Amino acid sequence: MSEAIHIGLDPLNTIGNATARVDAVERVTGEAKYSRDFKLPGMLYAQILRSPHPHARIRAIDTSAAEALPGVRAVITGDNASVVWGAGSVSGGRQYNDPTKDATLHRRYIFNNPLRFVGDSVAAVAAIDRHTAEQALALIKVDYEELPFVLEPEAALEPGAPQVWPDGNLCPDFRNNFEPMVSNLGDVEAGFAEADQIFEERYETSFIHNAQMEPRAALAHWEADKLTLYSPTQGISNCRHDTARDLGLQDHQVRIICNYMGGGFGNKNQNQDADLVAATLSKQAGAPVMLEFSRRDDWLGVHGRWPTVQYYKIGAKNDGTVTAIQMRGYSGMGPYRKNSGGISGMDVYACPNRLRSISPVYTNRTTSGNFRAPSEPHGFYGVESMMDEVAYKLGVDPVEFTLKNMRRPTDDQPFTNYSLDEVITRGAEQFDWASRRKTTPGSDEGPIKRGSGFSFMMFRAGVGTSSAIVRVDAQRQYTLFVGVTDIGPGAKTTMGMIAAEELGVPLDQVEVVAGDTDRCPYSVGESGSRTTIQTGYAVMQAAKDLNQQIADSGMPTGSDVLIASATPNPSTDGKTRQCFGAHFVEVEVDTRIGTTRIVKYTTVHESGRIINPTTARDQIRGATLQGIGQALHEDLLYDPASGQPLTTGYYRARHLTHLDIPEIDVTFIEVDDGYGPFGAKTAGEAGIILAPAALANAISNAIGVRMTSLPISRDKILEAMA
Amino acid sequence: MGDKNKADTSLNPKQRSRREFLENAGTTAALASAVPVLGISTAQAQSDTESTAAKTRIQLTVNGSRHSVDVEDRWTLVEVLRDQLDLTGTKIGCDRSECGACTVIMNGKPVYSCSQLAVWADGAQVTTVEGLASGGQLSAVQQAFVENNGPQCGFCTPGQLMTATALLSNNATPNADEVKQALVGNLCRCSNYNAIVEAVVMAGERSGGAA
Ligand code: FES
Ligand code: FES
Repeated sequence: MSEAIHIGLDPLNTIGNATARVDAVERVTGEAKYSRDFKLPGMLYAQILRSPHPHARIRAIDTSAAEALPGVRAVITGDNASVVWGAGSVSGGRQYNDPTKDATLHRRYIFNNPLRFVGDSVAAVAAIDRHTAEQALALIKVDYEELPFVLEPEAALEPGAPQVWPDGNLCPDFRNNFEPMVSNLGDVEAGFAEADQIFEERYETSFIHNAQMEPRAALAHWEADKLTLYSPTQGISNCRHDTARDLGLQDHQVRIICNYMGGGFGNKNQNQDADLVAATLSKQAGAPVMLEFSRRDDWLGVHGRWPTVQYYKIGAKNDGTVTAIQMRGYSGMGPYRKNSGGISGMDVYACPNRLRSISPVYTNRTTSGNFRAPSEPHGFYGVESMMDEVAYKLGVDPVEFTLKNMRRPTDDQPFTNYSLDEVITRGAEQFDWASRRKTTPGSDEGPIKRGSGFSFMMFRAGVGTSSAIVRVDAQRQYTLFVGVTDIGPGAKTTMGMIAAEELGVPLDQVEVVAGDTDRCPYSVGESGSRTTIQTGYAVMQAAKDLNQQIADSGMPTGSDVLIASATPNPSTDGKTRQCFGAHFVEVEVDTRIGTTRIVKYTTVHESGRIINPTTARDQIRGATLQGIGQALHEDLLYDPASGQPLTTGYYRARHLTHLDIPEIDVTFIEVDDGYGPFGAKTAGEAGIILAPAALANAISNAIGVRMTSLPISRDKILEAMA
Repeated sequence: MGDKNKADTSLNPKQRSRREFLENAGTTAALASAVPVLGISTAQAQSDTESTAAKTRIQLTVNGSRHSVDVEDRWTLVEVLRDQLDLTGTKIGCDRSECGACTVIMNGKPVYSCSQLAVWADGAQVTTVEGLASGGQLSAVQQAFVENNGPQCGFCTPGQLMTATALLSNNATPNADEVKQALVGNLCRCSNYNAIVEAVVMAGERSGGAA
């Protein structure tokens, strides 16, 4: 077993001790029930017919043969089922809520006409078993009028480009203005004038799929006007509210159940169109409906990280001081703006002159959506590649360059704490940066070349609201009710540990009830790495309240119970709260065949106090590996001639396998800054932010050529060396 | 590890008639079982709502219990396990031999149950994740997964465990490279690969062949 190194804080009674998950036995015995594992009496199976064209108008649909097939119980299309999927398209790409639903100009329905990507839903069928449903799909006749399509964001903005929406391909903001997202600090032109040298480069990053192992499913069941949905969602509370809003119900008329979910990685802290399709079919058929996505359905219908193009211009002085950073970016959103299209990274530099302009653009690819650290890994890759290049061109060690230029707390903007110097310095030491990096990139003789790269980050760790309820009975058994769902990071266990710590009892005296909106209060959802901070803080406050009640009135007796609930709304007193990290990696590139092998990978993170060292270690390792996959392999390819997606399954999408996995050394510098539950900060997204940048820099250090396009696949390395 | 046969307490008439039908047909009692969380029937629909496709009767032994199941030609082994025998521990990640989530041990070898037709399993001995623990005791590799966080989301876990179990029965103390070679057909998108390999190595070291 390789354990993470922990520096700075000693374990408390429960927190800080390596702890097996509270539901570990269910997970290793097959008892854990995922959405598709539930069955209800009379349950029907459903499938969706998807568009074979990247852009087409439906002239007519004939479902009569499908309806006549024995065993078919419901067929729905845009003609008889018009339901807005509010969270599927949002002006401005913000979190979906009532005002954004009202404001959104480009509405997305569960069935749309025209169809705007290969995989857009055309019709859905419920039948007595999945094979009958499949057969029925094949009997639906659709008359398509094919329309011109566009796949690349820059091409989509050219005059005369095929129009995904009538108003043009630049996505509207939340006021429905067709403007890029601009943030402007200081005066970049003055910064460029001040510079000794100007550096410019274009970077490009690929479209990649979240590819969680559990394909989307939704089991819908109506009892009178109450809908129960078994759905793999990262946020049961948001999923309930969104579903109620879309179906014209009150929140209490919808129950969402999700105890186990086979991975999320972002983009599922709302409802999904699958939920609405299953609910609509179920209502129509008068029976429970299980809608199952195939792997291809999931690939086409469930979104991935937006592809980007990033144009940088950096001004720097010869002494290594950055004077201006400018970036013009384009993000391919697919035909609906589900999320922001952000490209982050430049704000980790202190340079006072920064101009960023991002155009989220409609295309006829699968819709993009949040993927673990939605705006960061591709953005950090771009800006930190750029800065690495500047450092080497100026003859400065990139670590020194960073220590000189990185953002630090100021009198105007204090932080709750700041660890970046320690994180970077310790990482450099542990990795032996000074001797591993090539002072002259590409200087190894011979075809196999080694090189090392580095990247650093800070990432939001702000506080916020969630709720928790805790109860104790006369047998001193505690029950914690939290609206979390366990998609992998181990939220149930983390919440139980925080409760046990505050209550002063062993973890096995606390039962954790989660994953059911009829039993659990609001939780923020497993996104933005927020659960530990927000829901964890609510757990802590509810436990404090219960302790007080016990102190005031003693333990309950007989059948009495004591109950405490909390919905705190904490603040950081105007201070910025961030987690920090640095990655160092050494690679060996075989320039004859273009392969990259990772020789050493060192990560150092400050994510506040670590609640459970075991699961935190694997959040860092897992996220780092996903970032390595993004850096080296993953790319959803489309045929430019036909608009057809070519990589709609695991096989061609080149995710990492057991054989691709290096050792990942993990070090946590632990700090309690006095905020969050016992000082805990964000961790789940931290690892993925840094890996593409660190690897790209290492490869460039090895081969002496800057790699400006992700993934850095074998063909690109061969081309660079040709 | 609940009693999978203790199901027939439901008042649902559909379930009872299905149960009687099965008993009359001479099958073992394990076919009807309950989803513990819900406490509701998981029995199949009555015959008037069943597909009319032709069926073939197969016999197979799963986790030591003999079953006789009427299967359609187009059904896969994983469908029989999950839909007919209610062994939902085996997962479907791709349904086309790409991910390994559906791995079971069939006649001593790990196979992708999504890519085995049910009729091919006639006469087979099958072990699924539900069959790894015995007498309430986790197997060594299950125990190592518990201790070393083998599952993150847990969706690939049953498949990883089955391939690892097959490996350990051939190579009692594999090293990390041997584990990686054996498990290469089991993807983990949580990318919990390091922890999985560590757990399998640890299981081998601890039990030295008794896994
Ligand atoms: S489900 Fe069988 S290999 Fe993926
Ligand atoms: S634990 Fe989630 S896919 Fe392996």
